Amino acid sequence: MKKRSIIAVSDSSEGGFSLRRRKLLKLSPLLFLAGCDISPSGGTESFLKTFQAFNDWVQGKVFDPTKLAPEYSDTDLTPEDGFRVNGYDTDTPDIDLAHWTLTVEGMVTKPGQYTLQQIMSLPKRVMNTRHCCVEGWSMIPQWGGTPLRDFLHLVGADVNAKYVAVECGDEYYTSFDMPSILHPQTMLCYEAYQKPLALEHGAPMRIVMPTKLGYKSAKWVNKLVVANDKPGGYWEDQGYDWFAGI
Amino acid sequence: MNTKKEFQHPLIIRITHWLNFIALGIMVASGLRIYNASPVFYFKIPSELTLGGWLAGARQWHFFAMWLFLLNGVIYVIYNVSTRHGRHTTLFHHSDVHGIVPMIKYYLRLQKEHPPQKKYNALQKLAYTTVPLLAIGAILSGIAIYWPVQFSFVTRLFGNYDTARVWHFIFMASLVLFFLGHLLMVAIAGWDNFLSIITGWKKSSNTTEPHV
Repeated sequence: MKKRSIIAVSDSSEGGFSLRRRKLLKLSPLLFLAGCDISPSGGTESFLKTFQAFNDWVQGKVFDPTKLAPEYSDTDLTPEDGFRVNGYDTDTPDIDLAHWTLTVEGMVTKPGQYTLQQIMSLPKRVMNTRHCCVEGWSMIPQWGGTPLRDFLHLVGADVNAKYVAVECGDEYYTSFDMPSILHPQTMLCYEAYQKPLALEHGAPMRIVMPTKLGYKSAKWVNKLVVANDKPGGYWEDQGYDWFAGI
Repeated sequence: MNTKKEFQHPLIIRITHWLNFIALGIMVASGLRIYNASPVFYFKIPSELTLGGWLAGARQWHFFAMWLFLLNGVIYVIYNVSTRHGRHTTLFHHSDVHGIVPMIKYYLRLQKEHPPQKKYNALQKLAYTTVPLLAIGAILSGIAIYWPVQFSFVTRLFGNYDTARVWHFIFMASLVLFFLGHLLMVAIAGWDNFLSIITGWKKSSNTTEPHV
């Protein structure tokens, strides 16, 4: 299993994914009362996956594109030394910051490669929002960057497309529904605490999306694809919920 | 002793009772797995007591069972309100207050005589009235941490995101405590009483016999 360093998920005591799957077998005796098939390849897992798709659908319905995540005052910020990197198996990729570009593909009128300077010349937003990890911990960093919808406008993206997928310098990948992408607080983030993003936090540019769980705020983003076919995600393909709204 | 059978629990109450047991069992076991990913307190729950295998699996179970728990609870409440079932026998009334101390004394063996009661004594009514409120607390605090952006006003009800997580744990722990007490009472009350939540009927109509 490839090591992951995105702020996201760990059950680090559990070891690899195949081991986790086997551990699914160790289910509570309660399930026998429910009369469930507990084999990981059996009906229970596919039922839960189907149900997860239903919950994703509910999340999409509940999501209000105009509802802003609470923004906090500077005194509420998590101190900079508490700006957390998911602390296990950290595997920061080598990024050539001087020659970095963001590749844009798919349903856009101006596909190609965009430099950080082009992105930084767009309107800037600074916000103190809570970053909620799927594990349960959270922090309030100060983010700075460009609202993603402004960038989509720049590249002539078809905002009637259903999805946007991103790929990252560490081979992480994830994807989003268009309404969440167009949310005013969804940003291409290049600053934290008014300083250029540190390498371990995704330099030179990451997604920040306070309306979704942390594993959607992908670091080291280098490619963006606008599409109508639903893409997956690194954690989502393993069983985490795709919409991940909060 | 009167051996005439007495009807205790209507079918809907029996079904919702057992569905609730299953739903809450899944909720607690998978919830403890989610808790372990980033414990609120300074302890972790042994994996053997948890459900889901890893965080993603636990979340799948948790967010499936929440619907079962919610819908079952809604049916239970609608049934009770519309039929007024349990209104006099189960729902705690302010006139039950004076019955609390004698029952505590009886349970602590400070008083030999079982205080007179109808279907349930004052402490049972208190417990059976509190538990649905705890369930509502669990659901609300759950919404507070599932949707802290979409339902930020619910999160604020519990302070902030982190304190809402603590509240969610407290409601869960309170429900588990009730469950343990309930198990103990069921064990004391005996087999005939236990069967009544399955068949609906109980042999004895002697109301001074314990009924749980």
